Amino acid sequence: MLRHTALFLGYELRFLLRNPIWPVFGILQPVMYLIFFAPLLGSTTPSGSMADVLAMFTPGSMMMIALFGSLFAGFGLINETRNGVLERLAVSPAWPPAIILGRVAKDMLVLVLQAILVMGVAMLMGLRIGVIAFVVMLGLMAMTGLFAASLSYGLALALRDENGMSQIVQFFAMPLTLIAGLFLPVSLGPEWLQTAAKFNPLYYGVEAGRALFRDDLSNSTIPTAFGLLGALAVITLIWSMRSLRKMAG
Amino acid sequence: MIIEAHDLRKTFIAKRGRGKTEEVEAVRGIDLAVEAGEIFAALGPNGAGKTTTVRMLATFTAPTSGTAKVAGFDVVKEAAKVRENIGYVSQAGGVDDNSPGLDSLMLAARLSGMSRKQAQVRSEELLEAFSLTEIANRPAKTLSGGQKRRFALAIGLVTRPPLVFLDEPTTGLDPQNRANLWDEVRTLRAQGTSVLLTTHYLDEADALCDRLIIIDHGKIVAEGTPTDLKKEVAGDVVTLRLKGLEEARELLAAQDYIKEVRAEDDLLRAYLDDGEHGLPQLLRALEERNLTLDSISLDRATLDDVFLRHTGRSLRDAA
Repeated sequence: MLRHTALFLGYELRFLLRNPIWPVFGILQPVMYLIFFAPLLGSTTPSGSMADVLAMFTPGSMMMIALFGSLFAGFGLINETRNGVLERLAVSPAWPPAIILGRVAKDMLVLVLQAILVMGVAMLMGLRIGVIAFVVMLGLMAMTGLFAASLSYGLALALRDENGMSQIVQFFAMPLTLIAGLFLPVSLGPEWLQTAAKFNPLYYGVEAGRALFRDDLSNSTIPTAFGLLGALAVITLIWSMRSLRKMAG
Repeated sequence: MIIEAHDLRKTFIAKRGRGKTEEVEAVRGIDLAVEAGEIFAALGPNGAGKTTTVRMLATFTAPTSGTAKVAGFDVVKEAAKVRENIGYVSQAGGVDDNSPGLDSLMLAARLSGMSRKQAQVRSEELLEAFSLTEIANRPAKTLSGGQKRRFALAIGLVTRPPLVFLDEPTTGLDPQNRANLWDEVRTLRAQGTSVLLTTHYLDEADALCDRLIIIDHGKIVAEGTPTDLKKEVAGDVVTLRLKGLEEARELLAAQDYIKEVRAEDDLLRAYLDDGEHGLPQLLRALEERNLTLDSISLDRATLDDVFLRHTGRSLRDAA
């Protein structure tokens, strides 16, 4: 079973290595935010220094790649419901969950690599973080990727329609971004916004990232974010596998 | 028996908008018995239930009722065992457009349990056999329809399965590629592989298969070898175009050397066993009644005549 997952992962990675340019495009958006938007935020942190601004803003910009990258991972799968690839794999000796797991593993890996690049840019701009925080942040990104990609594959297999899928993803991406405090902490906002944010899993990811970047490693949002994103990932994975099985009617 | 099916049925719940649903009986009781080593065809118009039948046998779709054993294993309870023993080439082909065909081939080989080395050897064998070596590393989307179809076939055969399902294998291929694919299917039989193929081409079923079923509206309407089925209708068909169709029909139906007469739009088909000798007699009979012909032709009976006899319409009109 692990072998089949590894085989699918290997297949996906081969494709990626032939077309390495696309994930690089994915990080352009957060990098542009770091360069052109972060300098505007000097007044939102107590010290106003660039290092503090980046510690606040970088986690949000990293979550952005998860939202606008991994959440679109499922689009490729919609085509495969029609071109017979999934149909063929479904009646092959392949362990069915591996079909999804191999892809999700690839998406996690891509997201972690993108996260390293974005953090690298932030560090060049003056961000300072410890090794532990760096590694835990990558773990958090992997978990976010696991959730976002599984959700995307679940949606793809349930809808099997590019138009419907792009509408739904866009519909959710915007409020999730705003209510998570991706650009500015929701703690700056009114009570009701802070309450609304508590229902957004992404909020915990961003807050955990900010705690990590403040070197506040014992902050409770970190285990909360891992637990919540992990649980949601399991649920969406199960959902996407059920959709895969139901594909045949 | 490599395939044994009893009373297979499949009913889909189709959405009809505004929350309404409709039941669609795609397959309405199919019995099948396919011998090992046979090329077996399911012939029928589009929407007859051929693909659904194959999908049930290949464990993709669960039957609503009925049972089937493929390679000795139950398609529902022992689906994993069935999957180890079949190759399945769907109508869509199932070749990943974005990657080279070789990658899909290698992945399929390794998923079946082969080591990297074994998978390489087997892939090279198949690339050679299907003349794909030179295009093995090109993204599949840059290949022609015929090349892609050959990759689909190679992927289906990678595990050397005793049974291969080919769903509409030649739809969309040009005549040259179609003829090549027929040869490849015949090679499979020579190697002892059983094949179940579906088609809506009469000549394909006729040229390729050992036995066939004709499916219409989810049911089997005829079963046998192509020769036997055609013999059942008659050896030859005389197709006539003339004025006074009804009078001619009655006249011909009364001739003892004619087995059956069918009127279809503005023409008549007379079925008879020995067309060469029957034709002069038929002409004489028409002349005696002063019935003037517009045109006449004598042909061997085809599977279309079998289809016509069992369903009351021509396969060409049935789509």
